[in-house]
Amino acid sequence: MAQERSLRISQVGLRGIVGNGLTAAHVLDFASAFSTFLEPGGKIVVGRDPRTSSIMMREGVIAGLLAGGHDVIDLGIVSTPVIQHSIRRLDACGGISIGASHNAAEWNALKFFGPRGTYLSTGEAGELLDIYHLKKFEMAEWRGIGHLHSDPDATERYLDELAQVFDIPKLARYRVLVDCTNGTSAPILSRMNERFGTRFILINEPLEGRDFAHEPSTTRKMVALQLAPLMQHVGADAGFLFDIDSDRVAFATERGQAISEEMVLVLLADDFLERGPGKLVITNVSTTALLEEIAARHGGQIVRVPVGRQSAIDALASYRPEQVAVAGEGTGAVMMPQFRFVYDGIASMLGILSMMDRRNQSLASILDGYTTYSILKGKIPLETHRIPEMLMEIEERFPDGVRNTVDGLRIDWPERWVHVRVSQTEPLVRVICEQRGGPPRALFDQVMDLVRSYGV
Amino acid sequence: MSRVHQLKISVSGIRGVIGDFLTPNLACAFAQAFGTYVGPGPVVVGRDTRSSGEMLEHAVTCGLLAAGCEVVKVGIAPTPTIQVYVSEIRARGGIAITASHNPPEYNALKLFNREGLFFNHYERTELLDLYHQSEFRQATNNEIRRVVTDFDSPPQRHFKRVLAHVDADRIRKRKFRVALDGVNGAGSLMSTHFLSEVLGCELHAISVDPTQPFPREAEPRPEVLDDLRTLIRETKAEAAFAQDPDGDRLAVGDETGHILDNDDVLALAVDCALHRRKGPVVVNLTTSSVIDDVAARHGCPVFRAPVGEANVVERMRLAGAVIGGEGSNGGIIFPAVQYCRDSYMGMAFLLDRMAETGQTMSELAASLPRYYRRMGKMAYEHGRLGSMMQALESLFPGARIDRNDGLKLMFSDGWIHVRSSNTEPILRLAAEARSEERLEELYSRALSVS
Repeated sequence: MAQERSLRISQVGLRGIVGNGLTAAHVLDFASAFSTFLEPGGKIVVGRDPRTSSIMMREGVIAGLLAGGHDVIDLGIVSTPVIQHSIRRLDACGGISIGASHNAAEWNALKFFGPRGTYLSTGEAGELLDIYHLKKFEMAEWRGIGHLHSDPDATERYLDELAQVFDIPKLARYRVLVDCTNGTSAPILSRMNERFGTRFILINEPLEGRDFAHEPSTTRKMVALQLAPLMQHVGADAGFLFDIDSDRVAFATERGQAISEEMVLVLLADDFLERGPGKLVITNVSTTALLEEIAARHGGQIVRVPVGRQSAIDALASYRPEQVAVAGEGTGAVMMPQFRFVYDGIASMLGILSMMDRRNQSLASILDGYTTYSILKGKIPLETHRIPEMLMEIEERFPDGVRNTVDGLRIDWPERWVHVRVSQTEPLVRVICEQRGGPPRALFDQVMDLVRSYGV
Repeated sequence: MSRVHQLKISVSGIRGVIGDFLTPNLACAFAQAFGTYVGPGPVVVGRDTRSSGEMLEHAVTCGLLAAGCEVVKVGIAPTPTIQVYVSEIRARGGIAITASHNPPEYNALKLFNREGLFFNHYERTELLDLYHQSEFRQATNNEIRRVVTDFDSPPQRHFKRVLAHVDADRIRKRKFRVALDGVNGAGSLMSTHFLSEVLGCELHAISVDPTQPFPREAEPRPEVLDDLRTLIRETKAEAAFAQDPDGDRLAVGDETGHILDNDDVLALAVDCALHRRKGPVVVNLTTSSVIDDVAARHGCPVFRAPVGEANVVERMRLAGAVIGGEGSNGGIIFPAVQYCRDSYMGMAFLLDRMAETGQTMSELAASLPRYYRRMGKMAYEHGRLGSMMQALESLFPGARIDRNDGLKLMFSDGWIHVRSSNTEPILRLAAEARSEERLEELYSRALSVS
């Protein structure tokens, strides 16, 4: 079932299991479509993750872009944020990141960026998709074909930008354990150690093409398995775990606690709201209500949009950068206005370490200062055609709560909420349920049972 | 009608005008079909210096990787060098990205099997079926293999094979003054090195910058080699060579500034080869009778094959030929190096013969029997070809006839060969005779049927 539907072509880009859905022909067509979509003649930045299939996809992407008359600057194996930073720095007209981020090794994907280094808006992504489907690509004639260049300095210039916002040498006071999951964070952090004297202790450091040390997901579960048990042995002040392309991060405290991935956004929202000037936190309807509590403390406001990168990108466009404190998801993917709204796990990590430094508090003690919220998450495969019926029944079953239908159905009560939504990437329904204090077991079970009654 | 020329996907591979016709998407799909056909193993990829070469190299690499092949990139290299390399490293096959002598807006994929030979007719048909069926092998992340590069060893391996068949010391001692026109092609750097370093010549080269476009028509026909003629005169060169963009075709000039007829170049190479070892010779049906005369001096038989390198090579293998080629196309095929047209073996043979005999290039050429040749082409409408052939045959009732490739009419003092092009709707007409008058008679009568 999953294999039959492994290919997904949407406004988020192209994603699938290589050789089993995602093929070279898709890559070529998408690169040609992107080349047609962009202004003719500009440079395009390309980078990839260490997956074996990324080499194949790189070749196809480069061929498609050169044929469209664009010069290509290949950054090699780099994180997605490095690609996004480089687009602006090199005055390129766009960029492509080759890599499947938090997905397992057999997956791969293309992500597209515009001239400011940000993800395409929904309107732009829709246009790209139309060009892809029409398959009438603009090809340069033989004299106009682009040339391939490289830029070995990309990581170094990215570190320059990070160092302008964070006092990185000061963070050398911390001993930090990092699980790189064999991904692109490893070369960046080892260079940071050399250049700034930081003390990042890297595990799962070698770049791997086929076998990652573990599933590259930035979840509390993964932190609990991989990172938390080592924290006290190493005597680390903080522990971080990255996905393959380093746009997401999860973490553990010095006491060896694995912390919910929701808390990355919470910590950064707290810190950036406190420091201003931005007073808005843009997030989706599935993230923790602790955010509202923290925002109230700083006179800030939480803007909740539908789940998915595209909604956050579109929402950001309607605010001036200085209005926004931070934007992000409960998945550990957070963007800051200082970095032009690039989801960046490494910047998020530096943000958390800087917060510890500024408050002169340990990570665990900062977290102790927050009210406990308990979140339960579940997923159930479902036949697509019964979803509206199911949502309607849930709505009828809980008439006393406040309804929000921007993305599936969310119902809020004073100290708890439940969100039922359909996954954009898999044929299943997700149930997220949160309560101030202990876990909302009864509510969660009730909703799960109801959803399950529609299950396959 | 003009579209016919813009893109051609046929048993010869894929060839077309860059832009809207030969796209990276097509090249990638064709390469993936090729990778599926030859199986998961190393495949050599090289290219000539066309502006579209780098782009297509990435598309081809993408398709091969997607089919589970390991890609061995040799970069810019002459086609014969790629072919030698494929056979040396025991690859599954090879792809040369080159439109050979076609204009710069064209590009194409030349496909080689594991022996470094052009795909034979059956292989080509199977591959084409596979391409049309679009059921390619789709390698997964675990099955995708790597890209490796080898820019240095292919020329060395090629030179080593060539030098085994000439007396290199003898050539070096003469310190020949040689002029070269590399057309800024794939052989630019390699030929410079070969002539000046390996064979110790005093080299005067033009158009040997692979980053620049072709400065003249890509096919080294005598009419487009004025710059080389000037260079010969200015430098008082004893020999002159001109290549095509992928280094398989060779044109030769003598010390007087005269560009030799291609058939005479092949005849001189045949003479060299048969001097060293006797055996059968294979040429195409359009190649001059001068080959028969030269072979007869050595007591060796000549066999004829349909036009096309693959056809000549197949016939050579059957006959166990010592040497072969296609006169009109400037191609010398010497199987002891590799079954392919090879300008490097041609250059080495001719310089070795000059060193051995002490004769000048013009004296060598003058020693060949004199024939008069004329070639031309005429456009025809589809459907008219058969009746034209019949009309031609009835014009010459007494002729011996060979129908292996179009129609060849043979007389005691000359011949006419008419065939339709594989790539365009035109009829190629060639005639040869012992005298100029007879040639004109044969040629004009043949032309009258159109």
